[in-house]
Amino acid sequence: MNCKKIERLLSRSFDGILKPEEKTKLEIHLESCPLCREKKKEYEIILNTLRMKDQPEPKALFWERLQPKLKEKKKYVPWTLWKSWSVRAIPLSLLIVVLLAAIVIFFLPQQKEELSQSEALLLRNLNPFLETRTLLEEEGVEDKNMMLIFTTMEEKNGLRRYYP
Amino acid sequence: MDEKALVQLSKKGDEEAFSVLVKKYRAKIFNLAFSLTYDREIADDLAQEAFIKAYFALPKFKLKSEFGTWLYRITVNHVKDYLRKKGRMDRMSLVDIKENPFLYKDEIMKKEKDQVEEEKRRLIHECVQTLPKKYQIILSLRDIQGFSYREIAKILKIFPGTVDSRLHRARKMLRKKLTPLLRKKGGNHEL
Repeated sequence: MNCKKIERLLSRSFDGILKPEEKTKLEIHLESCPLCREKKKEYEIILNTLRMKDQPEPKALFWERLQPKLKEKKKYVPWTLWKSWSVRAIPLSLLIVVLLAAIVIFFLPQQKEELSQSEALLLRNLNPFLETRTLLEEEGVEDKNMMLIFTTMEEKNGLRRYYP
Repeated sequence: MDEKALVQLSKKGDEEAFSVLVKKYRAKIFNLAFSLTYDREIADDLAQEAFIKAYFALPKFKLKSEFGTWLYRITVNHVKDYLRKKGRMDRMSLVDIKENPFLYKDEIMKKEKDQVEEEKRRLIHECVQTLPKKYQIILSLRDIQGFSYREIAKILKIFPGTVDSRLHRARKMLRKKLTPLLRKKGGNHEL
């Protein structure tokens, strides 16, 4: 086994997770390799120093200092919730509007604007009623148009004007 | 009262129950933050912020994992965010490691042997800080906090095999950085 693989075993040996056969391999190698023995020493110094138990304690009155912060944060929670939702809600609502518009435009059948029979005839400059004949034959364009409009309106309302 | 019951009460907003959990975990959370920052003030602030985050995230906690594991995960992520924002760790190199006469003021009064030990400890800790964040975290969890491979895997949400290989790389990297530094100190450190 080469020194590279041994270094991995060496690292694992500090965690106590070596299998018995791995442990034997490591011991045999260490006996014959001064470089790996040196590495073992270095690891021992580093890991023993890191694993020293005299770690510092947190500052006094930890909970007493934490409690007012929790209360203060609680006040802001509804606002922050709304803030985070509103940020998401704006693009979301825009997307919904665009999607609805697309559905309306592309998928709903468009209603054809149906013209009444008389309107169709008038648009083609044909005479729907006998009484309009005189109007169509008039020369004044504005008068003619106005009369035609009234005629169609009366037709819709079911009224007929009498023209002698 | 058992931990699950305390967590359930805390989820409903019971501060009294949450205070019991805080008292149980404050030292561990502080030490975890300290092992990654090496600054008592900052570690204390980070520990407090981690508890605040945990308190407001409790309604989302489904009790699938242990409360402790979940809390450590919050702390690790919070400290990672802090380190990323600070950006100090990645920029720092071994050249930056200098003696800091104000860091351990009370050491003057200690015996010479203790001073050597303390200096060695400081050097190792400062060297850990120069490692990439993921290696700092794994070293802190295993070699400073003493978590098992399985616990680390749960906290970091990685496979135990990844814990093994990452830990080995971290230790190897640390050893390579430290060996010349410790030797340069004139054999004070048994090397």
